[in-house]
Amino acid sequence: MKFGNVQLPELPTISMLEDRSTPKLLMAVGLGWLTIFFIIPVVVLLFESLNFGEGSLLENYSTALSGTYLWTLGRTMAYAFITTVVCLILGYWIAYYIAFKAKRQMLMLGFVLLPLWIAIIIRFFGVSLFFLPTGPVQQVFGTDFGVLFSTSGVIIGLTSALLPFAILPIYNSLQSIDEELVNASKILGATPIRTLWTVIFPLSLSGVVASALFVYILAAGSFLAPAILGGPGDFMMANVIEQSFSYSIPLAAALSVVFTVALLILIGIFNRYANISEVLSDL
Amino acid sequence: MTNLTTRLAFYPIILLVYAILLIPVVVVIATSLTVQSSPTLPTDGVTLEWYATLFQNQRLIDAMIVSTIVACATAVVAGVIGTITAFGFVRSETGGKETLATIMLLPLMISPVITGVAFLRFGGLLSIPRGYPQIILAHSILALPFVFLIVRSRLLTFDDRLEDASMIMGANRLETTLNVTIPVIAPAMIAGMLIAFVISFGEFTATQFLVTPGTTTVPIIIFNQIQTGLSPEISALATTLVAIMIIVSVLGDRIGG
Repeated sequence: MKFGNVQLPELPTISMLEDRSTPKLLMAVGLGWLTIFFIIPVVVLLFESLNFGEGSLLENYSTALSGTYLWTLGRTMAYAFITTVVCLILGYWIAYYIAFKAKRQMLMLGFVLLPLWIAIIIRFFGVSLFFLPTGPVQQVFGTDFGVLFSTSGVIIGLTSALLPFAILPIYNSLQSIDEELVNASKILGATPIRTLWTVIFPLSLSGVVASALFVYILAAGSFLAPAILGGPGDFMMANVIEQSFSYSIPLAAALSVVFTVALLILIGIFNRYANISEVLSDL
Repeated sequence: MTNLTTRLAFYPIILLVYAILLIPVVVVIATSLTVQSSPTLPTDGVTLEWYATLFQNQRLIDAMIVSTIVACATAVVAGVIGTITAFGFVRSETGGKETLATIMLLPLMISPVITGVAFLRFGGLLSIPRGYPQIILAHSILALPFVFLIVRSRLLTFDDRLEDASMIMGANRLETTLNVTIPVIAPAMIAGMLIAFVISFGEFTATQFLVTPGTTTVPIIIFNQIQTGLSPEISALATTLVAIMIIVSVLGDRIGG
């Protein structure tokens, strides 16, 4: 063991201290808490989705996988996908600017972070006020473009709420690129576009993947965006689960299971290309 | 690329992104100042009248008190458990640590609507009293991953030798923890608790299943008002919430660094 330039004697006490077994106990505190108040409740929900009365065991699932519910699942995935694409394009653009071009990086980053501190319901409320018939869009353009209570309202709201989650991981990955690599590429004669495409972009891919994952998961699970900004035809899975909960808990449970499994399958596919736990640790 | 073309290429999108990020909040704050009786931009004068109405509305004040109690309790519960767990994860050598860490992040991956439904059913089964206990426990689950991630990332830079030194000098485990470890990680822990506070303060989706008439939180009131009838009073309430959250975030930034 060295401390500065001084070689310290190897003390037996230190290896003795390293033997403490308490860390496992500490880990168990959080994992236990999560198991009792989160994992077991979800497993109980799984149990409740099964039909032990008359009819088949999986009756609620055949309802949950039929007609409108399947459409809702598809719509949820589609809206989340569109939101992710929009957020990634805008997010990459702005992250690139902040990382490489901006003079006031911290200030620009601060304004990206600021909305994260403000409750999502307030931000959706602001979007709805913005597009309200009495709101600024109407005042300025004389028309409200029919954004409110439509699919575009949901996408705009989700994009607004989730953009910071897209920008931050991309910014982090761009920030950690060794500038020497970028310089080397330029010195060797690559155009800026070619440098971006063959050097910077591949190196920032982990950030892009993390961004996509965050935005997709959060968008797919959103309850408030369709409820506040969407029309009757824009309900997503979270809304349908909430709605069905009031008249059939087993159906709500089955829908929850179907939704979660569908998302986990997507994450699983995703996991083949990028390690989720690494990605999430970047948060 | 010259400086000018760089600017021309980037500026429109930058403006768009910042508009998308910030306009919603600005609109909420601006509409709270209108003299009209519906939430419009204050084009014909500014008034604080809606804040006066807000602070005379007992129902809204009650909701703010409930939200504050819930958020404080959540901060303590999630803060303590998240910190302890982060310690365990950083110190332990167990294989499969990464997989277990992913489990800690599960509440982030599963829609809060499912968390809410599951918790309500489970709370009923275990007869956890409705109201504060259920809301606080559910919020602590939703905030736990954030506290865990923040404290863990700060702990990774903690120098274990400080503790070893303390113990070699003759302090026991408890003294070392109290005098060495806690002071060093306190900023991260407090930052995590403030984030837990903010998450709890603004949570709607899971909370809507758990509130009782006596424990209605502010986001629930805001949502109900959006559905039934808009008044600048709700903008004022939302602005008050924004102010509290920003104050807490600045505190968190100061303390957490």
